[in-house]
Amino acid sequence: MKILVVDDFSTMRRIVRNLLVELGFTNTLIQEAEDGNAALAMLRSQSFDLVVTDWNMPNMTGIELLRAIRADAALKALPVLMVTAENNRDQIIAAAQSGVNGYVVKPFTAVTLKEKLDKIFERLAAAAG
Amino acid sequence: MSVELDNELLNVFLIEARELLESLGEQLVDLESTPGDVELLNAVFRAFHTVKGGAGFLGLNPMVELCHRAEDLLNEARNGAIVLDAGFMDALLESLDLLNDMMRAADGGVPIEAAPRSLLDRLLIPGRAATAAPVALAAPVAVAASAPARAHDPIEDEFEAMLDAARSDRAPTPAPSGTISDDEFEALLDSLYGTAAPGSEPVGGVPPAAAAPAPATDPNAISDDEFEALLDSLHGTAAPGTTPIAAPEPVAPAAAVAPTATPVAPAPASSTDDTSPKPKAATEKRGAQTADTTVRVDTHRLDGLVDAAGELVLVRNRLSNLAPRGTNDPMERAIGELERVAEDLQNAVLRMRMQPVGKLFSRFPRIVRDLARQLGKEIELVTEGEDTDIDRTVVEALADPLVHLLRNAVDHGIEMPDARAREGKPRAGTVRLAAGQFGDRIVITVTDDGKGMDPEVLRRKAVEKGLMDEEQAARLDERECYEIVFRPGFSTASQVSDISGRGVGMDVVKTKIVELGGTLSIDSRVGHGSTVRLSVPLTLAILRVLMVRVGDRLLSLPMSNVAEVFELVPGQIQELDGRIVAAHRQRALPLADLGRWAGAAGKGGHVVVVQIGHQTLGCLVDEVLGREDVMAKPLGPFLKDVPGVAGATITGDGRIALVLDLAGLADDGGQVLPSLRMAV
Repeated sequence: MKILVVDDFSTMRRIVRNLLVELGFTNTLIQEAEDGNAALAMLRSQSFDLVVTDWNMPNMTGIELLRAIRADAALKALPVLMVTAENNRDQIIAAAQSGVNGYVVKPFTAVTLKEKLDKIFERLAAAAG
Repeated sequence: MSVELDNELLNVFLIEARELLESLGEQLVDLESTPGDVELLNAVFRAFHTVKGGAGFLGLNPMVELCHRAEDLLNEARNGAIVLDAGFMDALLESLDLLNDMMRAADGGVPIEAAPRSLLDRLLIPGRAATAAPVALAAPVAVAASAPARAHDPIEDEFEAMLDAARSDRAPTPAPSGTISDDEFEALLDSLYGTAAPGSEPVGGVPPAAAAPAPATDPNAISDDEFEALLDSLHGTAAPGTTPIAAPEPVAPAAAVAPTATPVAPAPASSTDDTSPKPKAATEKRGAQTADTTVRVDTHRLDGLVDAAGELVLVRNRLSNLAPRGTNDPMERAIGELERVAEDLQNAVLRMRMQPVGKLFSRFPRIVRDLARQLGKEIELVTEGEDTDIDRTVVEALADPLVHLLRNAVDHGIEMPDARAREGKPRAGTVRLAAGQFGDRIVITVTDDGKGMDPEVLRRKAVEKGLMDEEQAARLDERECYEIVFRPGFSTASQVSDISGRGVGMDVVKTKIVELGGTLSIDSRVGHGSTVRLSVPLTLAILRVLMVRVGDRLLSLPMSNVAEVFELVPGQIQELDGRIVAAHRQRALPLADLGRWAGAAGKGGHVVVVQIGHQTLGCLVDEVLGREDVMAKPLGPFLKDVPGVAGATITGDGRIALVLDLAGLADDGGQVLPSLRMAV
């Protein structure tokens, strides 16, 4: 399994990475990108199974990245978990409409992250079935 | 919280957050002068926002709380609800200071105290309640505040009305709760995609919402259960992208059961940061975004590398001295190769230690701003050449002298606004801080458009303070008059102010710069302002020296102190006032016996003119061997404190040459040590 963690703040990338490892994603290759542009370039050159992206990033924001992923024929089925600072309704609805698979509000625990990921994978499984 | 206060994570956070906060000071000051700069405002907002996010994970709740307040205030400014006046700016800058203090505490393992209520309150817009910071790691915190506070704000209401008008297709609704629960979100996904996943092939061949955005949902309050019920009723029938998911009827009861509301304008674009794109310029300004292509290296390791590269260059010098010349011998070619490689290596290593001077400059706008506000002056600090690279050690050593020069310019240079207006000058003074590279030196100038310095006043003061007699003072040319300010115990301010110190400032600046192998000069015009120009070597790792021989000793004199070299002609040495001088360029040049000081007997056929302290001296030497780039190695513990000796180096032919520290040959008053003086 391959996960791409996107955040401009490297501390945050490390936190997400640590949490994923804590959740047992040990057999997982976790890669990092510092903004949407970098992420998109990586997504197009390698194959990933999940994107965990911050919302608020320079150059290309998380929502812009999400839209780019959904608009790309090769990437559009890629699950995206959005990390946001606020549990803001408008934002989350906008993200849902843009095709986000899940969202998680900072700061969050490994347990919360697991719940969010489980829901994403459940839905994916349902879609596949 | 499940993320333990992992030390490694904390350290990474502190380093990264510190970088953010470092540029924040400058950005805030810039913002005060250009409040309309949206990109800058976003960048400032982002810095607080990012620090808050990281601090939240580490459980540094006082930091989260403080950042959250600052963020809310900045968000209001972004929404145009307020203008960041000097009072808000003071509060933001103080918050920045406090954040730095908090990070120092966290670094030292000391528990962080909450920010004082008084400061937090100053970050609030009068009459508004605070929003809760997301410090709890449990359930997402609803944004809690009293709705009435907002309802009483006529501007806000008007703004609301405008927004409502803009989205007139939606039903106007009462106080919103801007948050969303997990269940709501899941239900929302269901409504958008059925049970399918976003981006996957839609169930029943209906196009996904991403491709055809659904009509905007109502952003207003709704309780989890009601939302759930609503979606249940829609579930299965709602094809993604075809049916609006919100119906107005559950909304009114929701308002009743969910009385929490945000004081922030609930318009989609205004409620939080996350909806606005981050301008590129803001990031560039912040720098430090290239985490994936840079490596942090402990400076001690870097210094070790510089040392090793220096040693290699010394060995290379010896080898090339030993090498057969002009024989086209394979050994000669190999040594030639080694020379080139060693040089490349040394240059590469030195570049690694370079830092843009802008890193240093970024501290200054804050200092100038606070000082100007304290003095009631209006001052704009203009910086130029921030991308000039300087050796890290030089950058650090320049910090204090530059602060002093800036304080001087603000305190003594720039006049009060009224006084400036009377002179026909703009009320706001300008202090210009510029850096540039000239050959192997960096020149930094601090220029103000203030009142300038009057040579006559300086002469009079010098006499009053007993620094010289009237005759000596009268003989000084203009430039020499300005030099007086660098004398110990001299201060041009008739009143000692807290700000520019007590007359211990400028001479300390001079000493520091000279220690760096630098020079300082002043230019001034009465009524037009002053310029202090300082020139320092690009790097301290390599010293450009003049190699001389005295008796059987080799000495290297730093080129930064060397003015010129000449050969003595018979009769040129004379006695004057009991001192031995050389008649040179129509002046009596006092001579120094470097040979005697170094314990070597020399005949002294040549003179090297050097600047030591405040004096120009001619050093008698036997032979001038030429210029060389050397790495001064420190002497052992017993010899390291010998005044005037910076270290030693190995010459190409394997001999040892002392590297002199000429500044060390003068006492604190800038007088040359008696042992050097040549008296009759």
